[in-house]
Amino acid sequence: MRADVVVVGAGPAGLAAAVRLAEAGRQVRVIARGNGFTHWGAGAVDVLGRLGGERVERPLEAAARLPAEHPYRLAGEAALRDGLDWFLRFAAAAGLDHAGDPERNRDQVTALGTLRPTCLLPAPAAHPVAAGSGRVAVVNFEGFRDFSAALCAAGLRSAGVDAVAATAPLPAWDHARYFTAVELARAVDDDGFRRRLAPGLAQAAAGAAVAVVPAVLGVSTGHAAWADLERQAGMPLVEAATVPPSIPGLRLFAAYRARLDALGVRWQFGFPAVGVEWDGDRVTAVRSEGASRVLVTRCQEVVLATGGVAGHGIEANRDGTLAEVVAGLPVEGFPDRTAFVGDRFLGEHPLGAAGVRVDAELRPVHASGSPVHPNVRCVGGLLAGHDPTVEGSREGVALATATRVAELLAPAPTPVS
Amino acid sequence: MRPPLETDVVVVGGGVTGMAVLRDLALRGVRAVLVERFDLGTGTSGRWHGLLHSGARYAVRDQESARECIEENTVLRRIAPHTIEDIGGLFVLLPGDDEGYAGQFVEGCRASGIPTEELTAAEARRREPLLVPGVKLAFAVPDGGIDSWALLRSMAADAEARGCQVLVRHPMVGVERDGDRITAVRVHDRVAGEDRLIGCQWVVNAAGAWAGEVGRMAGVPIRMIAGKGVMVVMASRYVRGVVNACRKPADGDIIVPQHEVAILGTTSVQVDSPDDIAVAPADVDRMVDMCAQMVPSIAAGRVLRAFAGSRPLYQPESADGGSGGGDTREVSRTFTVLDHASRDGLANMLSIVGGKLTTCRQMAEALVDRLAERMGVTEPCRTATEALPGADHGPHRLAAPLAAVERDAAYGELVCECELVTRSQVRAAVGAGLTELEDLRRKLRLGYGPCQAAFCAWRAAGMLAEGSGEPRRGAPVEREGSGEPLAGLERFLEERWRGQQATTWGDQARQALLNHAIYRGIFDLRDAGRPDEAAAAGRAPTEPGEGDPTTRAGDELVGESNGRTSSKAGG
Repeated sequence: MRADVVVVGAGPAGLAAAVRLAEAGRQVRVIARGNGFTHWGAGAVDVLGRLGGERVERPLEAAARLPAEHPYRLAGEAALRDGLDWFLRFAAAAGLDHAGDPERNRDQVTALGTLRPTCLLPAPAAHPVAAGSGRVAVVNFEGFRDFSAALCAAGLRSAGVDAVAATAPLPAWDHARYFTAVELARAVDDDGFRRRLAPGLAQAAAGAAVAVVPAVLGVSTGHAAWADLERQAGMPLVEAATVPPSIPGLRLFAAYRARLDALGVRWQFGFPAVGVEWDGDRVTAVRSEGASRVLVTRCQEVVLATGGVAGHGIEANRDGTLAEVVAGLPVEGFPDRTAFVGDRFLGEHPLGAAGVRVDAELRPVHASGSPVHPNVRCVGGLLAGHDPTVEGSREGVALATATRVAELLAPAPTPVS
Repeated sequence: MRPPLETDVVVVGGGVTGMAVLRDLALRGVRAVLVERFDLGTGTSGRWHGLLHSGARYAVRDQESARECIEENTVLRRIAPHTIEDIGGLFVLLPGDDEGYAGQFVEGCRASGIPTEELTAAEARRREPLLVPGVKLAFAVPDGGIDSWALLRSMAADAEARGCQVLVRHPMVGVERDGDRITAVRVHDRVAGEDRLIGCQWVVNAAGAWAGEVGRMAGVPIRMIAGKGVMVVMASRYVRGVVNACRKPADGDIIVPQHEVAILGTTSVQVDSPDDIAVAPADVDRMVDMCAQMVPSIAAGRVLRAFAGSRPLYQPESADGGSGGGDTREVSRTFTVLDHASRDGLANMLSIVGGKLTTCRQMAEALVDRLAERMGVTEPCRTATEALPGADHGPHRLAAPLAAVERDAAYGELVCECELVTRSQVRAAVGAGLTELEDLRRKLRLGYGPCQAAFCAWRAAGMLAEGSGEPRRGAPVEREGSGEPLAGLERFLEERWRGQQATTWGDQARQALLNHAIYRGIFDLRDAGRPDEAAAAGRAPTEPGEGDPTTRAGDELVGESNGRTSSKAGG
């Protein structure tokens, strides 16, 4: 097998890099172990939510003041802006309108009733919910266990929102005794199901200015199911972020997948990359697991988007060392494993910021600063210098670094003869 | 102060030994009250590997203990089958092990009355497919698994049904004396926040590793040795039965499968205090590396948590005291009844020291026989023949909880997939007045599994916010005050996190970061730096709960750890 560029990983960074490289005319192949942080995230585009635990109001401005080794500084502000603009266009074209502007953060309602700072919000999560925005009805669907209206409403009340809890009955539907967010979201994709659902939802939220619901309003038709249900309910419906798998993330993943198919990108999913082949310091191929043998994909360039420790890109060893799993890139470890994590779970964990150090062209570097392989680039959560969870920067870093890589690897313009 | 209680015997210590004493007294018709400083089984009885000894571990060096173990092994299978997982055990001879020791082992088992069956290497590996290929031979023995919490609960239920009383969260704080007699035991009611006197004719000190402290309060010297044992919990069972190394007992030579996990044991180090239950990362490494010599796949396995317990070893006054830090394996595991009348001139107190969980009933029998003689009670001991409540359920089976969940109409409403906790169980517990996630955990095992409470914690927090009723349908309802549900959730998450620094690497590190991405990332919860509110509220630092030994395992500690990575690893 052969490709111009092999992108390893299908999380927010790998997907964006693959699409942008393909749009730039490169022949791309994606090799991925499985789903990434599209499925594990809050379903919004975080750029920079918190610094030192404090809420960031103006993310672009704050990003410019980050340390020089932060991925935003390496990719540059232009790449971040361009990445966000591109994302808004790409998502809208796929039926996933987003609201927001990179200059300032907004609030995203979560299932715990907290208001998390984020930058771009998918339309179903975008209607403002805040103190003073009138009565909010938090409505769960009967029998859905991954959301508690009471808990969400209690959290919102702590934030000063006039919130009450309610439950809407689900129409009869064909499901196992046990149903997940994905199954419920698929049911909501159905027109008839929504027609039967809407009256109970409207009744449960009666008297409120807006209804907050779990993020399950359709999964395979973009935002169409949400928009239709909102129209039928006659009031704004706001999807609250809940535990994985993220339905908004699944919608986005489907959009990327469709775009990659349309661009003719080959896609190997469920079989992780396990190594590389090289000639001198250039990587010449990526080795990946296949059904019964190791597959070798020859390539000119490799983009690693395997995530940090959480994403399987880096293995945290018992002795405190860290290992990058595909190309064996240098990663700075710890004196021993007790330094991996802090003593408060909700505090910070050094392992969350562990990653591969790169140069301004996103090439992994030795401790001396010189590139390890001239044709390997790293993007997203794999990069050192940031903790995507603590600072709320996962999608922004993914888009900025994917954009930068697409610029760096765009084919040279064909000379006009 | 509340009015004093009056009873015939005060039993100090709510571990298996004290409870076995209480039940023995109850069966002989003696009035008694048991007092415990935290909750039942929060000391050594809840901090061990869960092995029902065949006695084979002592067959070479300590045949008195070995004989006690095999006798009681047989008795417990009869009176408490519902607490036992009848999985058998193997002693395996590894490459490099001394074959001469195998000869001594077989001879020691024969002399102690422990049945053994020699297996070839092929037979051993058929029985335990994950055993190291080089195993030379193995011996099958009647080891088993035993749930000390279930045993404690059954004994307590029996004693209480027969008129005895159990007071938890009532630490003994002193005694009232009249000459050479104790007239009352002073306890502190931790819930009411006040002292209380329990007038009595007799006192039994069954405080195990803490027996020396009880002795001090009564004015008699008892020299206990705190023998710390570290155990490591792996995220799957690995073995069908117990696997022991056939060699002189040493660190990391036993694997006990329990519920969905395996427990690797153990170290044996003398420490200054039984409350020293800190676990160092090096201890964890040692357990994993040593046990991987028997079952190699453990080396790449996932460690869930680590914890330590303190053996109640007794040092007779005549013996050489030894010094801190030494190996305590040479101290006999047998038990001793101390009659403080002849020993110390204190007329009405007996202590029971040493011993093992497997022999708790026999220990109680020996003590109560002596006490009955002194009291003039002629009723004989019946604890070896009277089955415990619940015994008619038969032996515990691994798949029983799954079968129960599948029969349950509410199947699918699992709140905790790892431990198969259903919504109806949580709702019932909330209806019974539990208001803290920590209480739900102890009661239901919620959050003990590999995901470390990622999904169940917030589901259960939601149910706490909803109260015990089904959420109402239809028009919005104002909810009655739900307190601070987020603060309760944060407390629970921090409690679950204790001690994780020693065991976080590999897959467990990935799990930790994913959980962090949920709670800090998606839900935007941040460390509010809340002080230990449990402590501030005057509760025990953490009180261990019900569940099985595994769970509580890392749980609880009593006493403050020394600030190092502690064993409050919890589940």
